[in-house]
Amino acid sequence: MTRIACTAMFTLALAVPCLGAGSEMRFPPPEFESGYQFPETARPPTARPVVHEYIDVALLAVVLLLASYLILQRRSRRAIFALMIAALLYFGFWRDGCICPIGAIQNVTLTAFDSTYAIPLAAAAFFVIPLAFTLFHGRIFCGAACPLGAIQDVVLIHPLRVPHWLESGLRLLAYTYLGAGVLFAAIGGTFLICRYDPFVGFFRMTGNWNILILGASLLAIGLFVGRPYCRFLCPYGVILRNLSRLSKRRVTITPTECITCRLCEDACPFGAIRTPTEDWPEGEYQIAKRRLAFFLVLLPILIAAGGWGGYALKERLARMHPRVRTAERVFLEETGQVTGTTNASDAFRTTGQASAMLYQDATAIRSRFALGGALLGGFVGLVAGGKLIALSVRRRRAEYEADPADCLACGRCYQYCPKEQERRKQRRDARSGRGNR
Amino acid sequence: MKAETANMNLWHQAARTTTLVGAVFSGIFTGLLVWNLVGSALIGPTRENDLAALKVQVQKEPGNQELLVQIRQLDLQIRRDRIWRWDFAREAASMLLGSAVVLVVAGTFAGGLAKKPPRPQPVAERGELQMREARQARWSVVGGIAVLAVGMGLLTLTRWVSFVQGGNGDGGTPYASLEARQAQWPRFRGLAGAGVSTHANTPTSWNGKTGAGILWKTPVAVPGHNSPVVWEDRIFFSGADPNLRQVLCFDGKSGQLLWTGDVPTGPLPAGEEFELMEDTGYAAPTVATDGRRVYAIFPTGDVAGFDFTGKRLWHKNLGRPDSSYGYASSLETYQNLVLIDYDQSDGKDGKSRFLALDGTSGKVAWEAKRALPSTWTTPIVADVAGKPQLITVADPNVVAYDPANGKELWRAECVGGDLAPSPIYAGGLVLAIQPYSQMVAIKPTGQGDVTKTHIAWKAEDGIPDICSPVSNGTYVYLLDSEGLLTCYQVADGKKVYEHELKDQFRASPSIAGDKLYLLSLKGVMHIAQVGPEYKELGRCELGEDCFASPAFVDGRIYIRGAKNLYCIGGTSVGSTPDTK
Ligand code: SF4
Repeated sequence: MTRIACTAMFTLALAVPCLGAGSEMRFPPPEFESGYQFPETARPPTARPVVHEYIDVALLAVVLLLASYLILQRRSRRAIFALMIAALLYFGFWRDGCICPIGAIQNVTLTAFDSTYAIPLAAAAFFVIPLAFTLFHGRIFCGAACPLGAIQDVVLIHPLRVPHWLESGLRLLAYTYLGAGVLFAAIGGTFLICRYDPFVGFFRMTGNWNILILGASLLAIGLFVGRPYCRFLCPYGVILRNLSRLSKRRVTITPTECITCRLCEDACPFGAIRTPTEDWPEGEYQIAKRRLAFFLVLLPILIAAGGWGGYALKERLARMHPRVRTAERVFLEETGQVTGTTNASDAFRTTGQASAMLYQDATAIRSRFALGGALLGGFVGLVAGGKLIALSVRRRRAEYEADPADCLACGRCYQYCPKEQERRKQRRDARSGRGNR
Repeated sequence: MKAETANMNLWHQAARTTTLVGAVFSGIFTGLLVWNLVGSALIGPTRENDLAALKVQVQKEPGNQELLVQIRQLDLQIRRDRIWRWDFAREAASMLLGSAVVLVVAGTFAGGLAKKPPRPQPVAERGELQMREARQARWSVVGGIAVLAVGMGLLTLTRWVSFVQGGNGDGGTPYASLEARQAQWPRFRGLAGAGVSTHANTPTSWNGKTGAGILWKTPVAVPGHNSPVVWEDRIFFSGADPNLRQVLCFDGKSGQLLWTGDVPTGPLPAGEEFELMEDTGYAAPTVATDGRRVYAIFPTGDVAGFDFTGKRLWHKNLGRPDSSYGYASSLETYQNLVLIDYDQSDGKDGKSRFLALDGTSGKVAWEAKRALPSTWTTPIVADVAGKPQLITVADPNVVAYDPANGKELWRAECVGGDLAPSPIYAGGLVLAIQPYSQMVAIKPTGQGDVTKTHIAWKAEDGIPDICSPVSNGTYVYLLDSEGLLTCYQVADGKKVYEHELKDQFRASPSIAGDKLYLLSLKGVMHIAQVGPEYKELGRCELGEDCFASPAFVDGRIYIRGAKNLYCIGGTSVGSTPDTK
C-alpha cells in the first residue's frame, strides 16, 4: 500500500507540470474580452542584436574554462553535470540550439570555398574555441558545453555496453557524415548538418516531423546506449576526437596512479576506458606484420575505389543542391515528363530567367560534384583504410586509461577509482581539520 | 540500519514502478502519434483526390447542385479532420514529453538506487581477448565498407535527369520534335498551317443525325470560331465572350472536358466598350501547342501559356490590338517560342510588331517592329530546304524571318487589302493570297527585297476571301466562301479545274492522304479525290453549323461545330511516333 502511495506521489509530482502543457489545447483561454491585440503577422522577426552573439561567445569560453577546472581540478561529476544542464538550458533551449560548433563546420567550409561569404564572427569563434580547449584538455566541450550531447546525457538511464567491434564499424558513419557535410557546404548550397540536426526540434519545440522522429528515436536509443549521436554521427566529434589525441592535460581516471584494481573497468557508459594490454602469443607478431602490410597496400586501393564511387555519384549528390533540383524539375515539366508544377518551378518561372541558363548552372554544379564526390569517396576510403591499419597495430598500455579520442569528459568514472576516493577523503579531512582549528 | 535498507528498497521499487508507468505511457502516446501520422498519410490524400475529382466533375456539370453540396461537405470534412489531427498531435506530443520526463527522471533515480559496487571477475587470457576484439573490429570496419558500397550502389540506381535534349534515355526536350508534331495537329490547320494530315486512314463516312461514324459528341458551352488543336489524346481550343476567356481541353478518347483554364484581362479604359464583329467573335485565333504546353491569344491582347494539366504558367497582356474586324491571327510555335503576328491599325502608329515569347515563361524572346497594318492571316514556320523560315503576310508584304531570332530574311511586296487567308508553303513555293484578287507564288530562296526577282507566278481566278489554300505539293486548291473550288498546278500556276460546290464555306480545305476535305458552313463535309479533276467521293452531314477548320489525327477528324465538339472515326487514338 505504502509502495503504491509512493509510486503515485512520485508519478504525480513529476507528471503534473508536464501534462499541464497539453491542457492548453483543451481549455483555450477566451480572447474576445481581454482586449488582446493580434500581432501583425507580416512583420518580419527583428534581428537579434549582435552583442548577444558576443555574449554567447564569452559564455562558451566561460563554460569551457569552468569545465576544464571542474573536470581536471575539482574532478567532480556533479559539478560537471550541473554545468552541462546549464549549458543545455542556455545554448539549447534558450538559444534554440543555434549557433553551435557542429553547424559552424559548414560556415567555416563555406568561407574557404565562397569568397562572397563572410563568416559571422560568432560562428568562427564557436568553431575555434572548443578546438583550442580540446587541444589542451580533451573533449571537455562534449562533456559540459554541447547541448546536443547534454540532451542525450540526461536521458541515459540504463547504459548498455556497445561491443568494441560495433563501435569501430559505426564510427565510419560519423566520418562519412563529416565529409558529406563539408562537401555540401562547399558546393552543395545546403547545410546538411543543420538540416538533419536531430535535436534542434526539441530545443525549439517545433520542427519537421521527420527530424523530430529521428531525434526521438535517437533519444529512445539513448536511454540505453550512451550518447549515440555523439559517438556514431557527430561530425564535430570526429574533429574533436582526433585533436584530443594531442591533448596534454586531459581526463585521467585516477588522480594519482593506477593500481590496476579493475574497479573502473565497466564505469564508462561510452566505452572509453581502455584496459592494460598483454603480450600477444608467440607467432601472432608475424601474422600481424603481414596483415599490416596487406592493409598498407589496401589503403590506396580503398582511396581510389572510394574516389571512383564518389565520382560516379556526382549527379545524385548534386541533387542536394536546390538549383539542380529545380533544374531537374523544370526540365521534366518542360519536356512533358511530369504534369503539374511545384513551388520551386513556379518560383523559378517568376524570375523570368531562361531555362537554358538554369540547366547550364545545374550542369556546372554537377561538374563541381564530380571532383567533390571523388574527394568525399577518397576521404571515406582513407578513413576506412586508416582504421584497418590502426586496428592492426599493437598498442602498449600498462594501466587503465580513458581513451583520449573516445572519452567525453563526463567524469562518471572518477568515483570508481579507490585512489580518487582516497583523494576525496583527504580533502574532506583537510577541510574538517581546518574547520576544527 | 535495517529500517534504512527497507526504506531504500521501498523508494527503489517506487521509482522502478514509476519508470514502468512512464515507459507504458510513453509507448501509448508514441503509438497514438504514429496512428495519427499514418492516418493522415493514408486518408488525407484519398479524400483530397476525391475532392479534386469532384471539382473536375463540377466543371462539366456547373449546374449540379448536389455535386456542389457534396464538394462543400467533403471540403469541410477534410479541414475538420486536419485541424483535429493537428490538435491531437500537439496534445499527444505534450503527453509523450511528460511521460518521457517521468520515465527518465524515475529511471535515473531507480538506476542510482540500484547501483551495485563493481565486482570485477577474473579474466583468463586478456591478450587473447584483446586480439579477438581487434579482429572483430577489423571485420566490423570491413562490414562498414561493404554497407557504404551497397549504399552507393543503391544510390546509383536512383534516377537523375540529363539536360541533354533527348539524351540518356530520359528522352525529354522542352518542345516536341518535328516528327512528333507532324503526327499531331499542333496549330491552326496542322503543322505549318498546311492543312495536310500525314495519316491516310481518315474516315469518309458519318452522319450527324443518326450518329453513325461519330465516336463522341460533347457540347461546348463557351463560344468561339477558332479551330481544334490536337496533341495525342488531348483536344484544345479556346472560347470567349465579352467577359470570359477560356482555354478548354477535352479527352480525345471519351470527349470529356478535362479542364478549362481562364485567361484574365485588365479593365477597359473608362467609357470604352469592348465589342467585336459577330463573324469574328471574341475567340477567333486558334491556340497552338509545342507538345509540352498550350498557348492561347484573345482579341483583348491577352496571351497565356498552360501546361497540359490546365495550370496557367504565365499570362501577358500585349495591349488591346486595334483591328477593324477584331484580332484573328492564330498562334504559331517554333521550338519553345510562341510566335505572334501583332500587326494593327494602319501600321503607322508604331504598334505593329511581330513577337516571339518564351513558351515557358511568357517573356519576350525577340520582337520585330513592323510598319504594316492589321492582318487576319496566321504566320507559318516552313521548313525550306532544312532551314526554318517564318512567313508572315500583311499588306503589302510577304516577309520571311529567322524564327529563332527575328532576323528578316526576305520580303516581297505583292499583296494588299484586308488579308484573311493564310499563306502555305508547298512544292518549294510560298503561296500567298490577296482576297478576290490574286494568288502569288514566291521562291523563298532570296534575300532582301525579292519582289522583282523571286515571284514565280501569279494566278487570278477563284481567289478566296477567307479560306486558306491547301496543296499536296503538285496541286493547290482554293475554296472561296461561296463554294467555288479552283485547282492550280503548283509548279507553274496553271489552272487545272474549277468546280462549283453550291455551298458556303468558312473552314479552310484540308488534305488527308489522297482525299480533299471541304467542310461547309452548314456542316456538310464534301470529300473529293486529290487530283487534276474534281471527283466527289462522298458527302457527310453533321447537322450543325461549322466555322472552324477540322483537325485530322490518325483515323479521326475533330470538328468543332457551333455548339458541339465532334470526334469522327475509330476507337483508337493510335500511336504517336515520337513523344520526346
Ligand atoms: S570521463 Fe570517464 S566515464 Fe566519462 S567518458 Fe571519460 S572515461 Fe568515460
